[in-house]
Amino acid sequence: MSLRVQYARPRNLGQAAELLGALGSGVMIIAGGQELMPYINYGKLDPSVLVDISALNELRGIESIDGMISIGALTVHRDIQSDPLVNESAPLLADAAVQIGGGWQVQNQGTIGGNIVCMHPLYDIVPPLLVLGAEVEMQNTDGAHRTPLAALIDDSSHQLGTSAVLTRVLVPEAPATAGWAYEKLKLTDGSYGSANAAAMVALDSGGKIQSMRLVLGAVTEKPLDVSNSLEKLHGRMPGAEFGAAVEAACIAAVKQPLSDQQGNAEYRQAMAGVVGRRAAAAAAQRAAKIGNAHGG
Amino acid sequence: MAADMQELLEDSVLLQCRVNGQPRDAEIHSATSLLDFLRDELRLTGTHMGCMTGHCGACTVMVNGRVIKSCITLAATVQRKKITTIEGLAGEDGKLHPVQQAFWDESGLQCAYCSPGMVLTTVELLELNPKPTDAEIRLALSGNLCRCTGYQSIVRAVRASAGMQTKESED
Repeated sequence: MSLRVQYARPRNLGQAAELLGALGSGVMIIAGGQELMPYINYGKLDPSVLVDISALNELRGIESIDGMISIGALTVHRDIQSDPLVNESAPLLADAAVQIGGGWQVQNQGTIGGNIVCMHPLYDIVPPLLVLGAEVEMQNTDGAHRTPLAALIDDSSHQLGTSAVLTRVLVPEAPATAGWAYEKLKLTDGSYGSANAAAMVALDSGGKIQSMRLVLGAVTEKPLDVSNSLEKLHGRMPGAEFGAAVEAACIAAVKQPLSDQQGNAEYRQAMAGVVGRRAAAAAAQRAAKIGNAHGG
Repeated sequence: MAADMQELLEDSVLLQCRVNGQPRDAEIHSATSLLDFLRDELRLTGTHMGCMTGHCGACTVMVNGRVIKSCITLAATVQRKKITTIEGLAGEDGKLHPVQQAFWDESGLQCAYCSPGMVLTTVELLELNPKPTDAEIRLALSGNLCRCTGYQSIVRAVRASAGMQTKESED
């Protein structure tokens, strides 16, 4: 821990954006602290100024706006897990939030904004948000900007966490007929995944795959959206053959697998196929159940 | 930089919060963790330092009634909040909290380094779910590591805290 770091606690979002615009490099925005504090504790990060946005209540809370769920960036994972609106209209996100590692302590303190901004390949929130087609809103001195999360992930110039504040996440309400699943392969309840897959599946009236979105996490540096390569499976009946095709497509999509404490590259690539297959099957099963219930 | 922005920058933090019911204030370094504030400033050393990375859960305390890991929480962010540490659980007469008593009775510990965190997480679990299953107990405690017991006696202690008959775990 550095003894020289300065501290600021802006009173509102406007003031936070103005301050960040005025400060130079070395600034870090902090709230939950779950990502930054380990690095600060071990001297691996040495910010010149910590800008504490944890008291900005305008960045907290969940509401429905124009068919989208608006989730304030400071909303903690525990509140997302239990929120009625999220459970009703984006249950995939609620389930992924339950599976975040580190225990209740991390889920009570960690925020959805922090989980996104740190862009950690092993974290759980981005894959389901990509499946759901989420957008994010951020604020800097120029004002508020909205962008699809998928675009943000490929943009290295967003300056989130240093000179721009992520303010909220906008999640389109999933169609009530969509089946969903989040599969996380992990050694213990509290640990990181070795491979994660978030899936959403819609079936046609005959029970065949109408559309399917699937994003892999924890196997490559960035989350891997394999939805396009699964388009060839639209029109198929869910089942063992379909599962094998999903597994093969997921494995083929992983070009540069991670190799770390969660497993070596060969294992991660193979497990990407396993979680992909399981997520697709579970999502299709849920969709079938919903269809049966609706069809009466 | 404009003067009003310059004014926002502090060289240290004046932290005011309530710890185990007592109002406390201190001037601390900006990057101080809540763990270091509790242990070094307040000398509340029942909150243990394990990893400083957020993995082990020995540093668990409650903030506004919810467990968090104090080593990866910036002390400045608990401004005006209510903190409960393990020292705040027992009664003023020294009578153990029911969860502490159950951990004692069931030997839910060996070296006991993880115990303050285990006990506090159990307190939150039982407030939300007074009759948890073994699976729910293990999920709730997944952020608290124990390197001695193998967790069996800890799960027994949580069951005893909940006033449930202890039974041999099935797994």
